[in-house]
Amino acid sequence: MTGLDPRTKIVMIICLSTLAVFLNEPWPLLLLFILTLVILLIMRINFFRIIMRFKKLLPLLLLMLIIQSVFSAGGDVLLSFQGVNILTTNGINTSLCILFRLLTFFSSAMIIMTSHSRDYVLALVQLKIPYEIAFMVLVSLRFLPVFIEEIKDTLVAMQLRGVDLQRIPWRQKIKFYTHLFAPLLSRVMLKAHQLAIAMEARAFRVYRRRTYLRLLHYSAKDYVAMVFFITATIAVLAQDFLY
Amino acid sequence: MAYIDIENVSFCYPGQSRFVLRDINLRIYKEGVTAVTGANGSGKTTFSKLLIGLLKPVKGRIQLNGKLLSSLTLAQIGRQIGYVFQNPDKQLFCETVEEEIAFGVRNLGLPPERVTQKVREVMDYFELSRYAQAYPLSLSAGEKRRLALAAVFALEPGLLLLDEPTTGLDPYRKQLLGDYLDKLVAANRGVVVISHDQKFIDRYATRLLRLEDGQFIEE
Repeated sequence: MTGLDPRTKIVMIICLSTLAVFLNEPWPLLLLFILTLVILLIMRINFFRIIMRFKKLLPLLLLMLIIQSVFSAGGDVLLSFQGVNILTTNGINTSLCILFRLLTFFSSAMIIMTSHSRDYVLALVQLKIPYEIAFMVLVSLRFLPVFIEEIKDTLVAMQLRGVDLQRIPWRQKIKFYTHLFAPLLSRVMLKAHQLAIAMEARAFRVYRRRTYLRLLHYSAKDYVAMVFFITATIAVLAQDFLY
Repeated sequence: MAYIDIENVSFCYPGQSRFVLRDINLRIYKEGVTAVTGANGSGKTTFSKLLIGLLKPVKGRIQLNGKLLSSLTLAQIGRQIGYVFQNPDKQLFCETVEEEIAFGVRNLGLPPERVTQKVREVMDYFELSRYAQAYPLSLSAGEKRRLALAAVFALEPGLLLLDEPTTGLDPYRKQLLGDYLDKLVAANRGVVVISHDQKFIDRYATRLLRLEDGQFIEE
């Protein structure tokens, strides 16, 4: 499955994400998440290693699930306090749906890691997306880690000038974090400007027609995968709408 | 007593087998100007990042003023070692030049009038007064470097660590920087300069360390 055409992978991601949006029961969503995990396993992507990078967001996710669970009324009451329903079966169902939906989004997006970003530009161009837009997608993906690095550097610079971010109260901490946005925005604009100059200096958009050294070609397994994913998605959605 | 004591320190980046620094034993004192030179990629910047605790040694230990560096926060280290990045853009984050210099001085807990006075003095010295209300990232490369230096100098740390400080400075400003380093040394403070600028090193350095194959050679 790793040798699939990038266009097939884009279709797979769209199908999985669409199903994750439209399905509204915990069990089908859990099955969808398991299916995505199986795909990742076949593609040799270590889902759990990647998800651990986001472990700092776990308390936020937990808080969101609790809030959803408390504010979704209906079903049998499992826990109540002075007449106010704290936990209901409906609430648990809603929070489980959100959890599996988010996990499916995350894991399906990981499929994108199995091809080089250049191949996605080529894929988008062959899907008749204008080259400029396809290139912008590539640049945004390319620069994301650079900006994360810049945020880290600014945080280090602030701390080295005497701000103890670990020890100051939250209100003050938020005030210091606001210092991150102005330089980041400024650097983004500067980098975009420099990139535009560098690209134009190398004749970007001089000729309307572009040629490519390599072209993507569908193989039999691409057709099989696409037919399977599109048919399965339509079938599940149709069943969901009809019944 | 050494201000920074480096004992058997080795370092390699995660996922790499090649050691950038190997069994370094070095003492850095709060006196004179120590110059660190070496070829590109020899580990000079890595060494500087180890000194301010941004990187942790895989072997050995570093002590700052008698305390284990790993037990100190970046803020505590920053009050004792002033670090000027190789790329000054990375350490400028305030809305104005004046605010940039005042940011660290305020964290020292000085009264407001002393902060204002200090900021004014530093801006005057680095000839940045006319840019007081300018946006730091809109300055020229040389001006940004001067501002980064000024913001760190204003904190009056015991030791200054400058990574390629002369890049982008004209001869007059290089001399200004050198004179300031002399003043700091006269005031019993130490300076570590990582530089390729041989003329600057020859003129101001009192101790020369060359980094080669992951080890220091004292010259």
